[in-house]
Amino acid sequence: MIDSPAILIDTTRCVGCEECVAACKEENGLGKDRPWRGQGAIDALSATRNCTVHRRPEDHFVLQQCRHCLEPACVSACLVGAMQKTPEGPVIYDADRCMGCRYCMLACPYGIPRYDWDRAIPFVHKCTMCHHLLIEGGIPACVKACPQEATVFGSRPDLLAEADRRIAGDPDTYIDRIFGEHEIGGTSVLYISDIPLDFLSWKPDLGTEALPDLTWQSLSKVPPMILGMGAFMSGAFWVINRRMKLSSREDEETNA
Amino acid sequence: MLNRLTILKSFLWASVGVLAAVSMVRFTRGLGAVTNLSDVSPWGLWIGFDVMAGVALAAGGFVMAATVYIFGLEKYRSCVRPAILTALLGYFAVAVGLLYDLGLPWNIWHPMIYWQHHSVLFEVAVCVMLYLTVLSLEFAPVVLEHPLFGRPIFQRFLKFLRKITIPLVIAGIVLSTLHQSSLGSLFLISPARLHPLWYSSIIYIFYFISAIGLGLMMVVLEGLLTSWFFDHKVRKDLLPGMGIAASVVLWFYVILRLGDLTLRGDLGLAFDGSWQSFLFFFELGMAAILPATLLLFRRVRSSITGMAICAGLTILGMIGYRLDMSIVAFARPEGWGYFPSWAEIAVSVGIVSCCILVFIFFVEHLKVYDEPAHVKPGKPSHDAATLHDLMPSEQASPRRYSLVALMAAVAALFFLPVSGAEPVRTPVSTPRMVEGFSVARQAGDFHALEMCEPGDRPLSAESPIPLFAINGNRNETLVLFNHAGHVDREGGDDSCRLCHHLDLPYDLNSACFECHRDMYEPVSLFDHTLHVQKLNGNDGCTECHPDGREVKDSETSTACVECHLNPEATSVIIKRPDPRWQDAPGYMDAMHDLCVTCHKRRAREEPGRFADLLERCDACHDADYGPMLEEMAPVRNTSRLIVQNGDGH
Repeated sequence: MIDSPAILIDTTRCVGCEECVAACKEENGLGKDRPWRGQGAIDALSATRNCTVHRRPEDHFVLQQCRHCLEPACVSACLVGAMQKTPEGPVIYDADRCMGCRYCMLACPYGIPRYDWDRAIPFVHKCTMCHHLLIEGGIPACVKACPQEATVFGSRPDLLAEADRRIAGDPDTYIDRIFGEHEIGGTSVLYISDIPLDFLSWKPDLGTEALPDLTWQSLSKVPPMILGMGAFMSGAFWVINRRMKLSSREDEETNA
Repeated sequence: MLNRLTILKSFLWASVGVLAAVSMVRFTRGLGAVTNLSDVSPWGLWIGFDVMAGVALAAGGFVMAATVYIFGLEKYRSCVRPAILTALLGYFAVAVGLLYDLGLPWNIWHPMIYWQHHSVLFEVAVCVMLYLTVLSLEFAPVVLEHPLFGRPIFQRFLKFLRKITIPLVIAGIVLSTLHQSSLGSLFLISPARLHPLWYSSIIYIFYFISAIGLGLMMVVLEGLLTSWFFDHKVRKDLLPGMGIAASVVLWFYVILRLGDLTLRGDLGLAFDGSWQSFLFFFELGMAAILPATLLLFRRVRSSITGMAICAGLTILGMIGYRLDMSIVAFARPEGWGYFPSWAEIAVSVGIVSCCILVFIFFVEHLKVYDEPAHVKPGKPSHDAATLHDLMPSEQASPRRYSLVALMAAVAALFFLPVSGAEPVRTPVSTPRMVEGFSVARQAGDFHALEMCEPGDRPLSAESPIPLFAINGNRNETLVLFNHAGHVDREGGDDSCRLCHHLDLPYDLNSACFECHRDMYEPVSLFDHTLHVQKLNGNDGCTECHPDGREVKDSETSTACVECHLNPEATSVIIKRPDPRWQDAPGYMDAMHDLCVTCHKRRAREEPGRFADLLERCDACHDADYGPMLEEMAPVRNTSRLIVQNGDGH
């Protein structure tokens, strides 16, 4: 298996045939679409669609799927480690650990994880970059299915170089930016595009700071907090208690 | 015997009844059946209120324990037990609320074995679990004092618990500090979604400070309420002290929040006139500014009404703060708002009602307040109109409350989706444009439409034409439609109204589903009941299910075409799924009526030109198209296609 596997999506090449979606559905056994509130459209991401193709104005098509962040927010959010960043790179989901708190869905800046709302035993669904295929030396189903080579698979440094090459080769068409190169610490799914891709994230500009760092700033204060608060309260109790004992003894003495 | 307490208890038991009904549906049919949650609002009322606000409302426990045990302010000792009891019940409510909210509630213990110390939620979970234990131990002496636990083993345990009071209290304070603040840290992960008026890198400090203020006010309000319900004497001497403490904490909170906004340079957002800015001041004003200001006045601090109003304001405002953070100020796509369903509200109300009932039980039977609860003996009633009044109260009330709860549960069941979540109507995309050919068929003036295969274009002499691939129900029964050909044949731009609704003034494009309501319902063409009738009830099963041992589904059953050799679209195909939809025929019916009526007329009027082929299903529904839907590439740029005129049917 290659180092730091990644996917490069070139939106200028996508014709919206949804071959990738069909292949993904088949490979991952997702079944028929079950429309649910808040999807915007039946063909948006859902528990039955780990990837989907968005139709943008003027017949542009954009494949949406998990970005497999280098420092994923969902992984840092999950309290039982059901979301895992595999050593190989893809972010995968362990249904056996999940307790269904849906904090990962709240944490993801791209709104990727989806839920089985209509099931009595629900799970989170997201793209796993076909991790089960990767470890056997294969490539993701969506990449394999793409007839236009709009999605290509490779190692991240190679794909960054390829993206640079394509942008340099046609600077009039492409926006001069590799989406996902630095965003929130970098992602494994990269985009080059001739249209803005703001709509793929909750905020147009996510910044370059990795999201887990934000919560770690608070979490790292926990051990000093335990010691500090414990020591302060014990100290306060000891001092105040002693004074009260002394004053009551004085009272007794004066009374006596 | 209808006093305040009876009315309160009846209401609480009714809520518990509704809770029971909702629980049945929630745990058998899933979250979607009873909640308004969705992928864009994964957290709703149960997290925002039951967990976020619930933990904060229970903060009185550690605040009062610190006040009395650590800082030695002995005069507040009478407030400690009720505060600890509220905290204990509050945290139980949080745990129960979580059981409803978690998708897989039977895995709630997983944080004990799967440790993920990078997660704020893990820290919260561990702290809450430990604190719940600490609170139980802190409250246990109250229970063990009851004569029921007179045996030496219990008394020895009681003695031990009293010995470790101080370590328990300190542990409780440390744990509370950690998770009260960490509930705020949960939102640090989503700077992209939380509005900047609420997002700050020090949310955890806001949460901690506000929890202290809220905890104090909760102790005040519940003291006043229990006095009112149980006719206790109000400890008026304690009110001013608690009032001044709350005022200081709340002012500190206000200054911190506004100061943080100023330092971040986002203060302008609070005055930009957006609904968020109004909400910000409404919430901050109600939670802190207004009560903190009022509490500066001695008259307010020492009056029962004044304190009750201030406490109420803070409690509602701080609940609002938690709800704003987790629901209101959390970004969602345009048009996908979230408002809790009645069932979600019923669960929250029901859980709180359970807690209040347990609280009342403890107050009535244990020494929670210094003054034992006097349940006034009811007047002996001889009013035969109310049978229950003839019974002694201790028999009548359980029956009355059970009846209330049962009736409420039954009533609630009528309004619940007992059969499970219904899929939601969601717009699908407009018909896709594909490239295809119009191929002449032998019978009459009839052309069949065929899609381009990927390598077709160079081989074919004809230029491809744009076709609509109509797949309205997205069930892979696709129909190709030559729109340009129809326009041309029916008389150019003037002919639109022959097929389209263009008679509504100014109505350029009402979406089809606005009238044809079942458009996006998942429907099946197949009517099983009708077939059972036609095939003589159960005798006919084997007609379609030849092997009784196999699972009966569309895969194993006899194919429709084996009986319906020459299927014709004759009458309504899809029944209205619901009698409510009387306003317009279903989408598929409408489309069939529109096309089939015209096709049939043509075939009848000009039999030589249009063969009867035109009125058969397979004239449009070619069996080959199904799987091809996945394979066909849509037209990228329609303008480069040459539209061949006159290439109609």
